[in-house]
Amino acid sequence: MASPTARILLVDDEERFRTTMGKLLRKRGFAVEEAGSAHEALVRVQQGDVDVIVLDVKMPGMDGIQALAKIKTLDPLPEVIILTGHANVDAAVEIMRLGGYEYLLKPCPIDDLVVKIEGALEKKKAREKVLRA
Amino acid sequence: MKEHARYFWAYLPALGAFGCAVGTLSADRNLSGITLVLWGVWSLVVTFFVVRTILQERSKDEFTTRQLLQAQKMATIGEMASGIAHEVNNPLAVIGREVEWIQELLKESPPPDPQAQREIQESLHVITAQVTRCADITHRLLDFARMNKPVLQWVDLNNLIEEMVRLVERVTKTKTVTFERHYHDNLAPVWTDPPLLRQVVLNLLNNAVQAIDREGTVTVSTRDDAKGWVDIAIADTGCGIAPHHLPHLFDPFFSTKAPGKGTGLGLAVCQKIVTALGGLILVDSKEGCGSQFTVRLPRRPIETRKTFE
Repeated sequence: MASPTARILLVDDEERFRTTMGKLLRKRGFAVEEAGSAHEALVRVQQGDVDVIVLDVKMPGMDGIQALAKIKTLDPLPEVIILTGHANVDAAVEIMRLGGYEYLLKPCPIDDLVVKIEGALEKKKAREKVLRA
Repeated sequence: MKEHARYFWAYLPALGAFGCAVGTLSADRNLSGITLVLWGVWSLVVTFFVVRTILQERSKDEFTTRQLLQAQKMATIGEMASGIAHEVNNPLAVIGREVEWIQELLKESPPPDPQAQREIQESLHVITAQVTRCADITHRLLDFARMNKPVLQWVDLNNLIEEMVRLVERVTKTKTVTFERHYHDNLAPVWTDPPLLRQVVLNLLNNAVQAIDREGTVTVSTRDDAKGWVDIAIADTGCGIAPHHLPHLFDPFFSTKAPGKGTGLGLAVCQKIVTALGGLILVDSKEGCGSQFTVRLPRRPIETRKTFE
């Protein structure tokens, strides 16, 4: 179980998917916030204090990859996990290049996502330690 | 010979010459009669070869036209399929999440009736399994639509095939399938894409095993009979393919397997890959006796020869 202060931001345009995923993650002890679009997410990231962002690739307006790039320029600290409909080497390379933590194939079991979130949290903690030192 | 009959008009001069020859010979004018016979024989031979060349060219044309049509069909279907697959993926993800939420709720406050609880759990499991099945289809569709460009390297075919045969051998438990290997010794390496080729071999091996009802043999062989080409043949003693199914064998979504056993994309993907690798797939099948699929690959695809040499 993750530390109770872990703050997760879910970004997905599919409302029902987002809210249910939020409920499932809250049950597992995360503090979850939701955003219905990449723009909403960027506004939230600017306010700071987000540990992990779970980002859907396919969204109207700005897609997940573009959003990832913007997020990283706004605030490089939060780790970003990308949810994608399809494993694609090019997209994966692009995600890693832009500083994404990991990508997951949709639909995926919530437990897989939790494992990835915990990994991302650990990585973030390690990075913060390095920054402080 | 039947095809030549369609071109009977081309033989008319020759036959005419013979006719005249018969006429002149019967009129007892020896010399010109023999000339006419010779003329007839000569034009007969010439016409035969001309007609044969025309027929060969036409069948070659038909073959390339068919291939072109097939490629266009694949491209269109691929585009549509990836669109549909992406659209279907989202609702699937929603269904999956809802199931997980219901399971969570059930864990916290289970219904009083244990029988009902068991049945609800069972239903949820079925929903999850079916969502996984659909996801498998959509992911395969996306694979099919967006095949990456082959990354070529020198490959020891026998080795690559043996890996796949062992894999299939390990997972084939429910039937008695004998795997026979006839690998060509000292097969020269082939310039090709190993992961893509593995996918093809695995697919064909799986099909071969699935074609066998309870007991049978799968024969895997490699050959390099044709110069510059290498053949991988996978033969089974299974159910074979009905002749009227043959034209649709490589069509996406065409399947004769039981629902849930095949997506109808396996052979379509195989063909797409093999075409991208510059090769072709040959099929030889007799209903009730078995099938043989031969993947014929160029030792070195032509494009790379142009680029690198």
